[in-house]
Amino acid sequence: MTDASLPNTAGAPKSGSLHEVDARTKKRNAAEKRFRMYGVAAIATGIIFLLVLLFAILSNGLGAFQQTFISVPVYLDEAKLDKKGNRNIDDIKKVSTFGYNPLIQKAVLKAVEDAGIETPLKKSKNMKALISASAAAQVRQAVIDNPALIGQTVEFRFLASSRVDGYLKGRVHRELLARDKNIDAEHLDIVDGLKEVGVVKKSFNPAFIFGADASESRAEQAGIGVSMIGSLFMMLVVLFLALPIGVAASIYLEEFAPKNRWTDLIEVNISNLAAVPSIVFGILGLAVFIQFMHLPQSAPLVGGLVLTLMTLPTIIISTRASLKAVPPSIRDAALGVGASKMQSVFHHVLPLAAPGILTGTIIGLAQALGETAPLLLIGMVGYIASNPPGGVVEGLMSPNSAMPAQIYEWAKRADPAYYERAWGGIIILLIFLVSMNTLAVLLRRRFERRW
Amino acid sequence: MYDTAKLGTDVNQNETKISARNVQVYYGDTHAIKDVNVDIEAKSVTAFIGPSGCGKSTFLRCINRMNDTIDVCRVEGDIQIDGEDIYDKRVDPVQLRAKVGMVFQKPNPFPKSIYDNIAYGPRIHGLAKNKAELDEIVEKSLRRGAIWNEVKDRLHAPGTGLSGGQQQRLCIARAVATEPEVLLMDEPCSALDPIATAQVEELIDELRDQYSVVIVTHSMQQAARVSQKTAFFHLGNLVEYGDTSQIFTNPKDERTESYITGRIG
Repeated sequence: MTDASLPNTAGAPKSGSLHEVDARTKKRNAAEKRFRMYGVAAIATGIIFLLVLLFAILSNGLGAFQQTFISVPVYLDEAKLDKKGNRNIDDIKKVSTFGYNPLIQKAVLKAVEDAGIETPLKKSKNMKALISASAAAQVRQAVIDNPALIGQTVEFRFLASSRVDGYLKGRVHRELLARDKNIDAEHLDIVDGLKEVGVVKKSFNPAFIFGADASESRAEQAGIGVSMIGSLFMMLVVLFLALPIGVAASIYLEEFAPKNRWTDLIEVNISNLAAVPSIVFGILGLAVFIQFMHLPQSAPLVGGLVLTLMTLPTIIISTRASLKAVPPSIRDAALGVGASKMQSVFHHVLPLAAPGILTGTIIGLAQALGETAPLLLIGMVGYIASNPPGGVVEGLMSPNSAMPAQIYEWAKRADPAYYERAWGGIIILLIFLVSMNTLAVLLRRRFERRW
Repeated sequence: MYDTAKLGTDVNQNETKISARNVQVYYGDTHAIKDVNVDIEAKSVTAFIGPSGCGKSTFLRCINRMNDTIDVCRVEGDIQIDGEDIYDKRVDPVQLRAKVGMVFQKPNPFPKSIYDNIAYGPRIHGLAKNKAELDEIVEKSLRRGAIWNEVKDRLHAPGTGLSGGQQQRLCIARAVATEPEVLLMDEPCSALDPIATAQVEELIDELRDQYSVVIVTHSMQQAARVSQKTAFFHLGNLVEYGDTSQIFTNPKDERTESYITGRIG
């Protein structure tokens, strides 16, 4: 009967046993399995790249946090530093760093002789290659601060030159010295000897984190600290401008603005602005803030203004999203008891949207913190070896760099010592970014409300 | 039986609180409410019934101008409360909404403490001079909302932590805290279980001695239980309006009869 009514010529029952998987199901299962494997493979690739990146950054950059120091007692010769012998500070200041160099070189030579190192370099001038050019300034400053030191023998801890530092870190090899005009194999022999007696030592270098940039020839002295302050001032400008402007614009657009062609146009343009290349904001900043408004070049104020323009779309988009996420029933409830539109927004909607707004703002700030391209155009990328600013106004108006700009600047310099510092700078920048993003996640976890 | 017992006491309450004349509502090009005329009595419960999309909620939201918040919505005609046109240019909807409280379909307490939920309205309208007065208003409102005994020991616990029925009574208490004269309820029991529904219905019946209550409901049994007057809406028209007992026992329009007997809707 069944056979007759169905066009099934084989005569088998139409549905097979549940214990046997039919070909169609097998195919589907295989497809699903393949898809899962693609997913796992994609994530695994991502993790591998991340690990390689982390390894590269740490192995290249950690060295920058250590520096080679040479500790020697320096005899501060009165005949050289204070010829009149009256300890007049003005006369002492007349002696430039050139006057100090021989004293330092003599001190190093003495340390070499005391260590009993056999070397063909018998002249104190030969010691110049070992010591950083910053040493003379260091001693001069100490003497100006305390003229009573003149005539005494004082222990100083000098930065070793970047070649010596590179030798101890394995960056400078003896085989390649023939091409290096800055240091000879004999110098390295001295370094080996001094290291044995403990005069030359590698140790943690806080100046890398807190110091200012240095010239091409003084890689060992360069630090990221001042550009960090530049970044800090820019972030303050961004925070104080972008947050209120962005939040106010979002509240107006989301809660008050009529829905018409104009607001649609504005909405589309805000979304587009978020995708505009940041260098475009840079040239806008150059034209408006520097050429038209005559604000100072290279100033963190201008950098902050440009980054504000760049961050605003991000903040507006995330703020509008978090305002939208507040259920309309809350607005109804507030209006229902007679709250005005503004009261309903500020008493109820905004507090509920605040975690989302804060998260968006922090992400926007983190994005701005890592931005380099717009700073190129307003002169914040380059050799800016300023001292730490004295106050807020100076911090905003005087030329400075920013962390990513500083890293870029180091990476393009010729001395390989700067290469290491660029990686070290990236470690510091990443620490900032990771902590900002962690803060954003924590805020979201802590304050997020579920309905 | 429950409703007929109440009906006997209503004979002398014929004072008109809300009067609507030729009300038209448009959503963009859609004509949602067509020429509605109705007089709603003070100190009684009026039920709006009708199939989904018939315009009863829309009409309810005209009474406290909640429709103002919808850009495309346009209201024409004349709605008066105590003889004053509420769509007059001089009327501030904020003041109107303090006078005409509203309870929504889904319980929507603010994500704040129970105390702050009630105190919010009186605070923004400046109804209390000091903390003691505010405390008094909060207690009075929670008692009116028949929820005082359940929450008096945890006034500073979040309102969202209450059960659905408690939340809805909290919302009713919040609505009465601003001392309104009219209470609008948009399907207040549709998200509640039968026990909570019974509690809220009992509360509505008690509220009748102070407020004119207008309730939109999908449940004809509920309309029959709690209301004295019933209005039947169909496709944007007010088809029939009269005493609840008359509408449910002796409807004049055949559409009403079809709806009540379950043939349309």
